[in-house]
Amino acid sequence: MARVLLSGDLGRRFADGEAEIEVKGDSVRHVIAALEDLYPGIAEVLSDGRMAVAIDGTIHQDGLYEPVPADAEVIFMPAIGGG
Amino acid sequence: MTYEDGKLKVVGTRPIRPDGVDKVTGRANFGADHSMPGMLWGRILRSPHAHARITGIDVSKAEALPGVKAVVTGADMAESSGSADAGESAINLRDLSRNVLAHDKVLYDGHAIAAIAATSDKIAREALKLIDVGYEVLPHVMDVDEAMKPDAPLLHDDMFTEGIEPTPETSSNIAKKMVIGFGDVDDGFAKADVIIERTLKTAPVHQGYIEPHACVATISEDGQAVVWCSSQGQFVIRDLCSQLLGMEAADVRVIPAEIGGGFGGKTTVYLEPVALMLSQKSSRPVKMTMTRGEVFRATGPTSASSMDVKIGATRDGRITAASAEFRFQAGAFPGSPVGAACMASFAPYDLENVSITGYDVVTNGPKVAAYRAPGAPQGAYAVETVVDELAEALNMDPVDFRALNGAREGTKAPYGATFKVVGNLECLEATKDHPHYKSNLGPDQGRGVASGFWFNIGGQSAATVAINPDGTVSVVEGNPDIGGSRASMAMMAAEVFGVAVEKVRPMIADTASIAHNDVTGGSRVTFATGMAVVQASEDAVEQLKKRAAKMWDVEVEDVVWQDGAAHTATKDAPLTLADIAAQAGRTGGPITGNASINARGAGPAFTTHICDVEVDRETGAVEILRYTAIQDAGKAIHPSFVEGQMQGGVAQGVGWALNEEYIYSTDGNMENPGFLDYRMPVASDLPMIDTVVIEVPNPSHPFGVRGVGEAPIVPPLAAVANAVYDAVGVRMTELPISPPRLLAAIDAYKAAAE
Amino acid sequence: MEYQSPGTVEEAVSLLAGASGTSKVLAGGTDLLVQLRSGFVEPDLVVDLKRIDALTSITEDAGGFRIGAAVSCAELGEHAALSAAWPGIVEAARLIGSEQIQSRSSLGGNLCNASPAADTVPALIAARAVCSVVGPGGQRDIPVEDIVTAPGETSLQPGEIVVSLNLPARPSRSADAYLRFIPRTEMDIAVVGSGVSLTLSEDGTVSDAHVGLGAVAPTALLVSEAGQALVGTSCDDAALDAAAAAASAACDPIDDKRGTVEYRVRVAGVLTKRAAAIAYQRAGSR
Repeated sequence: MARVLLSGDLGRRFADGEAEIEVKGDSVRHVIAALEDLYPGIAEVLSDGRMAVAIDGTIHQDGLYEPVPADAEVIFMPAIGGG
Repeated sequence: MTYEDGKLKVVGTRPIRPDGVDKVTGRANFGADHSMPGMLWGRILRSPHAHARITGIDVSKAEALPGVKAVVTGADMAESSGSADAGESAINLRDLSRNVLAHDKVLYDGHAIAAIAATSDKIAREALKLIDVGYEVLPHVMDVDEAMKPDAPLLHDDMFTEGIEPTPETSSNIAKKMVIGFGDVDDGFAKADVIIERTLKTAPVHQGYIEPHACVATISEDGQAVVWCSSQGQFVIRDLCSQLLGMEAADVRVIPAEIGGGFGGKTTVYLEPVALMLSQKSSRPVKMTMTRGEVFRATGPTSASSMDVKIGATRDGRITAASAEFRFQAGAFPGSPVGAACMASFAPYDLENVSITGYDVVTNGPKVAAYRAPGAPQGAYAVETVVDELAEALNMDPVDFRALNGAREGTKAPYGATFKVVGNLECLEATKDHPHYKSNLGPDQGRGVASGFWFNIGGQSAATVAINPDGTVSVVEGNPDIGGSRASMAMMAAEVFGVAVEKVRPMIADTASIAHNDVTGGSRVTFATGMAVVQASEDAVEQLKKRAAKMWDVEVEDVVWQDGAAHTATKDAPLTLADIAAQAGRTGGPITGNASINARGAGPAFTTHICDVEVDRETGAVEILRYTAIQDAGKAIHPSFVEGQMQGGVAQGVGWALNEEYIYSTDGNMENPGFLDYRMPVASDLPMIDTVVIEVPNPSHPFGVRGVGEAPIVPPLAAVANAVYDAVGVRMTELPISPPRLLAAIDAYKAAAE
Repeated sequence: MEYQSPGTVEEAVSLLAGASGTSKVLAGGTDLLVQLRSGFVEPDLVVDLKRIDALTSITEDAGGFRIGAAVSCAELGEHAALSAAWPGIVEAARLIGSEQIQSRSSLGGNLCNASPAADTVPALIAARAVCSVVGPGGQRDIPVEDIVTAPGETSLQPGEIVVSLNLPARPSRSADAYLRFIPRTEMDIAVVGSGVSLTLSEDGTVSDAHVGLGAVAPTALLVSEAGQALVGTSCDDAALDAAAAAASAACDPIDDKRGTVEYRVRVAGVLTKRAAAIAYQRAGSR
């Protein structure tokens, strides 16, 4: 099971106020699909090009196909741009 | 394969950079140094109004001027929509198209409206005067807080704030609202013994690169385009140009020139699509350059900001809650770095309860562009000021306070991710132990410290190494060199091969000669492109071992590579790179190595700065007496370049703190679009900036590298402001701390004390 | 655009007087070239003065100095006798722009460009410098404070050029000083400039004093009241404060991106006080 943390107001806005959710999924894509089953509409927001995902602390700017190890911490957060 | 620190021969040394001689002799080719036969000169007509509807553009007189070969306006641009992936963040093509050439509205003083290509620069400039533009001048708004008010002049009718449910029914200038954080800040503040709350503001500041934008573009009659320009990413230039103009990426070849500074400001396009359009219309190459005035008026500065920060702590010094609201000005189109500000500003702290709200707000100024750790310096100015006040209120040393609450391995960052191994506490410890921190100060002198953080990113990189027949090595990569990276690539390759760095030649290829590479930015190149170069070199070493095995007629498992040569137990003499290369044709053909990656595991950088100032109480002038920057670089491949990045970031941060700002007239026109009155530090304004490079290696990189380029600009704003407070007891909550402002604040402080 | 490089003053005057379109003189070019590049001026004729001996030499003349109008500020700094007699004028000249600029910029150019913020003019005014001007009508002497009439405008008639700036012989126990306020340490246009020149009598009190202020009015000012406030005093705090107040009172500045009215008025007083103290200390040690 992956532990998904929805940063800031994502939980309030799309997940009935839940900030920490456990779902099954061995890749980010599957995790998003599992979340969509629980909270329809959330997939569009999480798949947006301006979202990044951190898996166990490692940030991926475009992590849709990244594998998610068992019991990993998965965080969706805004992508950052450097200069 | 990872490389043990104690055994490194090249990495960590300081060879002369391969591009050094060309740059100091003037031989290096920058964006404006290229010319082509039959070339035309392009110039842009720019709006004199901060906000106006374009009622009509008449180019007929300009077109008729002898020597004018092409005229383009916004109407000539294909209607762009959707977004392009620039490798770091999605870029809205529709907005970019309207920024490159205005469509129905001009949104800032300097906004491009039309462009001319003519047989001489003089004729092009004359032709601009012959273009008639009808304007319906509209009220404008420059300040971010003013722009958020319900009755503010509206820039875009179709802007409905994102991030609010339900979506607002009336349009506004607020493009986006975001909230990040965790825990319960109300609960946390209730537990605090001391709470400090402050509002702080910063002005727009420009990246200030010495080289203005410049390019030469040409499209042949069969639709093949070549663009010669300086940029921070030839691939993003290619992708944006091709998408804006409806061309295929393979039909646009972008050749990177040497770049005279970028700092984030050259990760987008301004002149290039226009030059291509002019070339297409005229069937000739077109050269375009910007004057300094154009650079200031029409290329991104970074966001002005208005920020509220509140931090609470218990009497024993532990932070119980932290909250902030950041309102960032995006300029004419959405896209301020408020998101990064929200995520980075509290990152140096181990928090249980944190909540940060950010607003991305449009105003009638140039569309902001990335500037070195975008968003973080502003946010750190606010947070580090309040942290300083809190430490004082608790009677704690400011470094001790930061260390007590410092982020470390296992800390949950404000954006939710958990830090792996990081060097924040090491930097704070080095600060406390540094002779600078222990030295004495005189009258009217003060000391300030501040912490900073930057994520650093990884991203896509492709690299090739080729072994030349004489055993020298060519390293081909795709990232423009803005910080000495090509030298570092050669050094890392030399380390893998076990040869002297003089035997390795780095080259930065154009878009047709190597696969996609993400931009040079985000402090990613030494990390990600370095990783690709290392992997490509290791790949080549495997090929070399196979060839040696063939030449010796032994099994490849019995061949080891060491000190630039293949060795095997049954032969006395090794086979050097040169030996094997000389036989390459016979043993299977040219020897190359390749790597193509999306680099994972970029290590964040933490940094702490110490700044000493002296204030002239009668004029408000601030002198920087001494400055020390301490930063975790993971592993310094070329220590001089790491130090140089740190010093450069500090210089920019000091300018931001003391004298730099965009000054606008009441009509919304920029009054100081030149280096005379846009005051960046000159050499005599700064003491030698001392640097301490801490190395807490990043396990994800073969040499332990963490990005270094951006973190150094994050702490100086607060370090300077905190030092001024220490010197004269005045808390400056607005930047820049220019002499008139400081003098007025000193007067007010004196009056209040009486 | 026509470029001429005459070898004598007479030739230069003749070229300028006979010019049909607009003409400009060229010394170091540190203002003219910038204006040409930005399209601010488009002269038909440029007359280069640097081949003319009278304009490029410094001569000592009966205890005073005749400084050729085109002599570079760097050269002024290298002139031992001038630096010793007039440290204030030399330090003003060595504040213009930067080291590189000073190898070209000149007193004549700085004066005749007629910027209210020119760095050397307040010091020249305090020194009571006189310009030797030559034109079609012959030679005349003009006090330096009467050259500039408004921002960008001088009292010179068509065909006239400033040939030299002449400094009077110096009584013993005299010294000058110049201070300028800018936000950075180099490269800025003066927010305020204050030049003080004074002479001490045997008993250490000031027998003669003059104060020039720049960047606080449309033209640089000779502030008699400020000079008077120092005469008969030993530049104690009360006298310095009085001079500072007089300097502030004489200001008629504008609010612009380089300084506000309030700030300029304030700092004019601060700099005058400091410059007077330095000049007093220098004079006293002679």
